[in-house]
Amino acid sequence: METKLLTEHYGKDEYIKIDGYKKHGGYAVLAKALKMDPKAIIEEVKASGLRGRGGAGFPTGMKWSFLPANGEPRYLLCNADEGEPGTFKDRLMMERAPHQLIEGMIISAFAIGSKKSYIYIRGEYDHPIRVVREAIAEAYKAGMLGKNILGSGFDHDMDVYAGAGAYICGEETGMISSIEGLKGQPKLKPPFPAVQGYLRKPTIVNNVETLAAVKYIIRDGAAAYRKYGTEKSPGTKLFSVSGNVLKPGNYEIPLGTPLKDVIFNLCGGLKPGRKLKAVIPGGSSAPVLTADEAMKVTMDYEALAQMGSMLGSGAVIVMDDSNDMVDMLDVIMHFYHHESCGQCTPCREGTGWLSKIVHRIRHGEGTVNDINLVKTVSERMMGKTICALSDAAAMPAISFVTKFRGEFEDYVKKGNQVGGALHA
Amino acid sequence: MPKCKINGQEVEVAAGSTIIQAYKAAGIDICHYCWHPGLSVAGVCRLCMVQIEGMPKLQIACNTEVKEGMVINNTSEVVKDTVKWGLDFHLINHPLDCPICDQAGECGLQDQYMQFGKYDPEMAEAKVKKHKVVDLGPTVVLDAERCILCSRCVRFTEEVSKTNELGIFNRGDRSEIGTVEGKPLDNNYSLNTVDICPVGALTSRDFRFRQRVWYLKEADSVCPGCSTGCSVKVHYNEEGLWRVKPRENKEVNGYWMCDTGRDTYKFVNLKARLLSGRIGKRDQWQEISAEDATRSAGLKLRETVQKHGPDSVALVVTGQYTNEEYKDLLKFFTGELKSKNVYHWLNNPEKMKDFDGLLFRGDRNPNTMGLSAALAAHGVSSKWETLQSQLSGRKLKMVVVAGPENQATFPDMKEKIQMLSQADGLIWLTAGLNADLNQVGSETWQVPLKAYVEKAGSFTNFEGRVQPFKAGTTIVPQALTLSEAVELLAGRDLNWALRPKGLGGPKTNYAVTQRGTL
Repeated sequence: METKLLTEHYGKDEYIKIDGYKKHGGYAVLAKALKMDPKAIIEEVKASGLRGRGGAGFPTGMKWSFLPANGEPRYLLCNADEGEPGTFKDRLMMERAPHQLIEGMIISAFAIGSKKSYIYIRGEYDHPIRVVREAIAEAYKAGMLGKNILGSGFDHDMDVYAGAGAYICGEETGMISSIEGLKGQPKLKPPFPAVQGYLRKPTIVNNVETLAAVKYIIRDGAAAYRKYGTEKSPGTKLFSVSGNVLKPGNYEIPLGTPLKDVIFNLCGGLKPGRKLKAVIPGGSSAPVLTADEAMKVTMDYEALAQMGSMLGSGAVIVMDDSNDMVDMLDVIMHFYHHESCGQCTPCREGTGWLSKIVHRIRHGEGTVNDINLVKTVSERMMGKTICALSDAAAMPAISFVTKFRGEFEDYVKKGNQVGGALHA
Repeated sequence: MPKCKINGQEVEVAAGSTIIQAYKAAGIDICHYCWHPGLSVAGVCRLCMVQIEGMPKLQIACNTEVKEGMVINNTSEVVKDTVKWGLDFHLINHPLDCPICDQAGECGLQDQYMQFGKYDPEMAEAKVKKHKVVDLGPTVVLDAERCILCSRCVRFTEEVSKTNELGIFNRGDRSEIGTVEGKPLDNNYSLNTVDICPVGALTSRDFRFRQRVWYLKEADSVCPGCSTGCSVKVHYNEEGLWRVKPRENKEVNGYWMCDTGRDTYKFVNLKARLLSGRIGKRDQWQEISAEDATRSAGLKLRETVQKHGPDSVALVVTGQYTNEEYKDLLKFFTGELKSKNVYHWLNNPEKMKDFDGLLFRGDRNPNTMGLSAALAAHGVSSKWETLQSQLSGRKLKMVVVAGPENQATFPDMKEKIQMLSQADGLIWLTAGLNADLNQVGSETWQVPLKAYVEKAGSFTNFEGRVQPFKAGTTIVPQALTLSEAVELLAGRDLNWALRPKGLGGPKTNYAVTQRGTL
């Protein structure tokens, strides 16, 4: 079930350095790609059906083809601002295989004709920042970056940009603002980044895992990549499993694997005597699944969407009967209140409002009407703002109070008798 | 020219127009805060939501271009619900302190709540506390709790004044407008931020707490502060003028005006004005009516011309009167008195060509161009130096001065008064009080004139644009226009029936004496 395509050599320390990386076939794909027609690379990526691994799941090849055809300077930005609560796969990829990312990026940059790229790494990722910086220096030394890469005539420069710890900078236009030296706030769309992005020039923003996967699509071809996963969700994906499982961690599996197998086989199941209560399948902004739903669903874009949730960044948060759903939502709402950039009114005011209501319920000061109000306010925040943060706060709120309403009502009934989490 | 349908009404707009521009052009109501025609699109208040046929989600009208055949509405239930909730989101952390807020009566939140909101608020949480009475600079005061973070003021300092003093600090519902330490909001356009602030967050230090806006009337006028001649609105009541605000005029000032221009109401008010005619000299003054003072001056002037010839009198004019007044004045002086001794008094000749790049010009007179044209039309080309030699040669018996209305822009007032009082008699026509004039040793007639808001006429601005304006209000009922003064100087009569009545003097404690008594 676990399929090690990207993560094949992740256990080996030598893989971090360029020599060890090359020993395992590193930069051979780059040499192959540089001999290809850039358009053919884009076509190959399109044919592979690769979808953005950062959260939105937008087809990567299609995103690339939105770039204007003229020779205007363009930028490739790698989104490594892994901020979605529960996600820790990009960190592993940068720590264990920095050259894999760099190689994938150079190939992608060659395909879209970009001469400059940045890797935007969240500020808290101190170690990955250092590892990636070192790796870039090594790549320059080895002639993989800079002028005339491998004699192909293609020039490319790469740099790391360290963020300062804002969730919103993981949103692609927020990230662009941040790299431009502005306050990390999403920009109005249109214009979209592919038309006017970084410094108002055409820009492509892709996730770490997406860019790394490009290497394998070019190495083996789109058809080989499509052997993994489902028809509409091809390929493998890294899932960061956390919460109450025996073996939490990052697992690379083909898309379409049943969630049941991930939890009970790969991750060793729950602690003895515990019962599965709920699973957040794609990071804290994905609507929560009940135990029944979790047992039925497969981990691919379509099945999760059908279940009313989403694959997101692939952060699986497992909750058993020792977890309290009101407590969980309180934490999630606090997070979005803290991270809203404050630009759009519904999000700025709504996230704070939701956080206050849920906090009040959690402390036994809520009413039944408050539970309804959480849903009403959340619904009015959906789809009304520049970026998706507002929706990201509203979706878990709606799913929690709808699917676990009983637990919220218990808090309301107990009133000020509540002392600590009721359902723990 | 794409055509679209707005709320069922066919509308044709210029190519590239946004939907909100189409709404404005068609005069159809649309709720919005952050959008301003003179600023870039921020798209953050999320209130101008519209439903476009064929699009699954609501779109903001300010950032969506009109396409041929679009069918748009903002009256469907889903849009109404969105706007209603959008307004509630704006208000949940707003202090709702309208009774003590200076913006009440002209507040976007109040107006749009009455138009689009009218809901029962459901917010029961403690509101976010922010800073109050923050000095952003010498002219503007911030109340961060009232602020709805529409970012208009920030965009103004970025895009229009290009001074970048303001920014939004912190994030989420802790966001606040602010300045960086050591760089206060201090530029000559700072008060525009108060105008464009849709709520009571930014208030003008000059105006705040002085008047309730619903007691003020407004009149359109042209700013006399410099030769740009911005279109303005003056706000007044029976006590006088309280503030000046810019009026949209794409050709001249766009949506803005400078802070210097806003001070032009001060010299119009009673405290700064010459209220009646005065005859006499140093420390011996007789207060008489404006009419009698002018008639007496006219008699003396005409007598002097008869006795000593036209070259014994001179006229000194400043660039602060209307084209119509210049015409009458010069016709009388060159035609009837037959004197060519007419001099243009320039206040700061070395700065006349200065320009700050936006609106404010070094020529601090509204009508230098008009005066120059009038002088040329009457064939007058006297040099200022000639006046000096005529005075020291004691050739001049009488000098008539159409003095500046805005005396603050004439740094050489004292010096010029002394110089001109070398003549035997001085007829000083002026709107403002001047202490130095009371110290003149020669025989002097002081005649009170009307200020710009009190009369109709036109100014010709720096580029030769003739801008007519109407009389707004009357502060000093006795005061004459320059044309009226000319009629009286010439010995003719005025049509008193046509003269406007004053609005009455200052009322101490207006609220106690007027309100509450039926």
